[in-house]
Amino acid sequence: MPKFLRILLWIAVSLLGALALATIALHRGEQINALWLVVAAVSTYAVGYRFYSSFIAAKVLALDPLRATPAERLDNGRDFVPTNKWVVFGHHFAAIAGPGPLVGPVLAAQFGYLPGTLWIIAGAVLGGCVQDFVILLFSVRRDGKSLTEMAKSEIGRLGGVVAYVAVLGIIVILLAVVALVVVNALKSSPWGAFTIAMTMPIAVLMGIYLRRIRPGKVLETSAIGFVLVLAAIFGGQWVSETPSWAAIFTLTAPTLSILIIVYGFAASALPVWLLLAPRDYLSTFVKLGTISLLAVGIVVLRPSLHMPPLTRFADGDGPVFAGKIFPFAFITIACGAISGFHALISSGTTPKLIRREPEARLVGYGAMMAESMVAIMAMIAASVLQPGVYFAVNSPAGIVGQAPEAAATTISSWGFQVTAAQMATLAHAVGEQTLFNRTGGAPAFAVGMAQIFSSTLGGHAVMALWYHFAIMFEALFILTIIDAGTRVGRFMLQDALGHIWKPLGRTSWYPSILFTSAVIVAAWGNFLWQGIKDPLGGINSLWPLFGICNQLLATVALCVATNIILKTACAKTRRLRYALVTLFPLCWLVAVTFTASWHKILDPNPRVGFLSHARQLAAAGANPRLIFNDRLDAAVTGVLVVMVAMILIESSLECMRIISGSKSAATKESPFVMTRLAMEEQS
Amino acid sequence: MSTTMCGAGAPARETLKPKVAEAEANTILAAIIRSFTVLVAALQEIFDESAYRRFLDRTHQQSSPHAYAGFRRENEQAKSRRPRCC
Repeated sequence: MPKFLRILLWIAVSLLGALALATIALHRGEQINALWLVVAAVSTYAVGYRFYSSFIAAKVLALDPLRATPAERLDNGRDFVPTNKWVVFGHHFAAIAGPGPLVGPVLAAQFGYLPGTLWIIAGAVLGGCVQDFVILLFSVRRDGKSLTEMAKSEIGRLGGVVAYVAVLGIIVILLAVVALVVVNALKSSPWGAFTIAMTMPIAVLMGIYLRRIRPGKVLETSAIGFVLVLAAIFGGQWVSETPSWAAIFTLTAPTLSILIIVYGFAASALPVWLLLAPRDYLSTFVKLGTISLLAVGIVVLRPSLHMPPLTRFADGDGPVFAGKIFPFAFITIACGAISGFHALISSGTTPKLIRREPEARLVGYGAMMAESMVAIMAMIAASVLQPGVYFAVNSPAGIVGQAPEAAATTISSWGFQVTAAQMATLAHAVGEQTLFNRTGGAPAFAVGMAQIFSSTLGGHAVMALWYHFAIMFEALFILTIIDAGTRVGRFMLQDALGHIWKPLGRTSWYPSILFTSAVIVAAWGNFLWQGIKDPLGGINSLWPLFGICNQLLATVALCVATNIILKTACAKTRRLRYALVTLFPLCWLVAVTFTASWHKILDPNPRVGFLSHARQLAAAGANPRLIFNDRLDAAVTGVLVVMVAMILIESSLECMRIISGSKSAATKESPFVMTRLAMEEQS
Repeated sequence: MSTTMCGAGAPARETLKPKVAEAEANTILAAIIRSFTVLVAALQEIFDESAYRRFLDRTHQQSSPHAYAGFRRENEQAKSRRPRCC
C-alpha cells in the first residue's frame, strides 16, 4: 500500500477511535450502542499496537531478528520448541484468559460503564500489554527464566523472595475468590449444580475415550465432551423441574464450599488424572468457544447499554464493593487492563516457544490486547442489564436486605427502578428460584449474556438455556483453575520447604504431598469460608484483596523490567528515558495499590477498612471469628505492601547505583548466538 | 491500421481478464487455507495434540494407549507446575 494511503488509513483509525471515545465519555441521558465501546477499544488497540508497541520493539527492547531464541538453541521437542507465531499467540491467549477479565469488569460496572471501560483500554495499551511484552522478551533473552528467577538475578535475593511470596499469596487469594464466585453462582441452583456435577462423569468418559479408543485425539474428544455437556444443560432443566431431583441438587453456600474444598484437596493430592486432564481440555474448549461466540454476538446483535456512564456510587458507597473510583476501579479490574499474574505466564511456557525475537511483540502485546477485548465484552454484558436488575443481582443481603420486596425498595430508592415481581419473572425466565443477592459477578454476567443472545437466537424461550450455558462455562473453568492452582501452590510450597527439610521437597513423597496440599487448601479454604460467612457478602473484602495482590505482583514485574531497561540503556544506548515505558505504569500501580491498601487497612468507613470493620463487629459483640477474619485480611494486605515497598526501595537503590556508575550495568542475558532460522527462511 | 491493432489486442485482453480474476481468487483461497491451517495448528498446540506428536517422534513410537499413557505422565509432570491465569 502506498505510504500516503497508509498515513490516511491510520489517521482515519485514530479519528474513529477518538470519536468513539468521545461518544462513550460525553454521551449523557440516552442509551448508547455497545458497538461504540467495541470501536473505541479496537481503534485504540490498533493504534497502540501499530505505533507504541513498534516503538518499544525497535527502540526500547531493540528486538533482534538475528538473535537465536532459547526455543531454537535449546530445542528439545518438549519444553523448548520453535513454534509458529500465531500458534504461540493462541497458546498464550488461552493461558492468560481466565475468569478475571469476565468478573472484574462486571463488578466495576457499579460505577457505570465509563470508568471501567476507559481503564481497560488505557490500562491495557500503556500498562498490561507493555508488561506482558517486556517480561516475555526479557525471559526469552534469559533462556525462559521465570519472573521469580529474574527478580532474584536482576534486583537481588530480596526481589526473588518477594516475588515468591507475592505469587503464593496471589494464588491463595485467587483460589478463594474464584471459589466464592462459583459458590455464589451455584447456591440454591439445582440446574447449575447438576450441570457442573455432570462434567465429572463426562470428563471420566472423555479420559477413557482419549486413552483407550483414540489416543491423543484431544480436539475430537473435547468436541464429544462439549456435546455431552450441552446434553447435561438440557438435563439440568429437567432436574430443576423435578422436585425430588431438585431437592438433591439444591445446595447451600456452606455445603458447596465444603464440596469445593474437598475437591481441591483431592485434585492436588490424589492421582485423579482420568478426571482432571480431560476436564481441563473441555474447559479450554468451552472457554475459547464461548468467548468467540460472545464476540460475534456483540458485533452482530449490537445491544444497547442500559447502565449509565457514571452512577452515584462513584462516591465510594457502592453496594457491590465499597470504595471510590480511585483506587478501587483500578484494582477491581486487573486482568483485562494489567495483571501481574500474566508476568508468570509470559515468563513460563511462552518464552520457550518463541521462534524469533520480533514475534514476541505479537504474542506479548497482541495477546494481552485480545484479553482486554474480553474484558470490554464483559463490561458490555453487565451494562446491557437494567441497572436495577444489575444491583439486585450483585448486592449482598447485608446491604439491601434478605426479603425481595425490601431489596427492591432499597435499590429503587437509589434511583434504579426494580420490583420484586420483575426479578421473580427474570429468575423464572432463567430457571432460577431467585436472582437477588447473587454476588460475585458470574450470575450478572450470565444474565447479561443470556439477554444478548436470547434477543435473537431462540428468543425468550431459551433464555434459561443461555443463562445456564454461561454459568456452566464460568464454573467449569473456575474449577479447573482451582485444581491446577492448588497443585501449583503445592509444588511451590514443597520447593520452599525442601530447603528446610529435604524430604518435604520431594514431589513424589506422599506424606509431603498430603501435608502441603492440606496447607494450601486450608489457606484458600479459610478465605473462602470467610467469604461465605462475611455479613458484607465476601466479594466486598476478597475481590479488592485479590486485586491488590495481583497489582502488587505487576509492580514487582515492572520493577524487574525497569531495572533491566535501565541497565541496558546505561550499558549500550545511554537513553535512560526509555525506562519511562515501564516506569510510568509502575508509578501508577504503586499509587493505586498503596492507596487501596491504606484504605483497606485503615479507612474509618467499616465497609472499606478491615480494622474499622473489626472494631465495629467487636463493639456489636459479633462472633470473634468474624473479627479475626478482618484482622487477618488487614495483616495479609500489610505484609504484602511492606514486602513490595522493600523491593521498590531495593530496586530504586540498584537503579541509582547503576545510573551513578558505582555499579556495573551488566544484565544477566544469555550470550548472543546467531540464528539459523533467518538464513533458512531466506534460502 | 489502428483498428486492426485494437482488434488484435482485444481478444488478448479478454483472455487475460479471467486469468487475472482466477489468480486473485486463488490468492484469496490460499490466504483462507493458510489462516485455517494456522488456526488448526494453534488448536492442536493448545490441546497438546502437537506435543503428543512430538513425543511420538522423539521416542520413536506409534500412537497407542501405551504411548499416550507415557506422554501423559511426562506432560503432566511439567504441566502441573504451570500457573493458570486469573
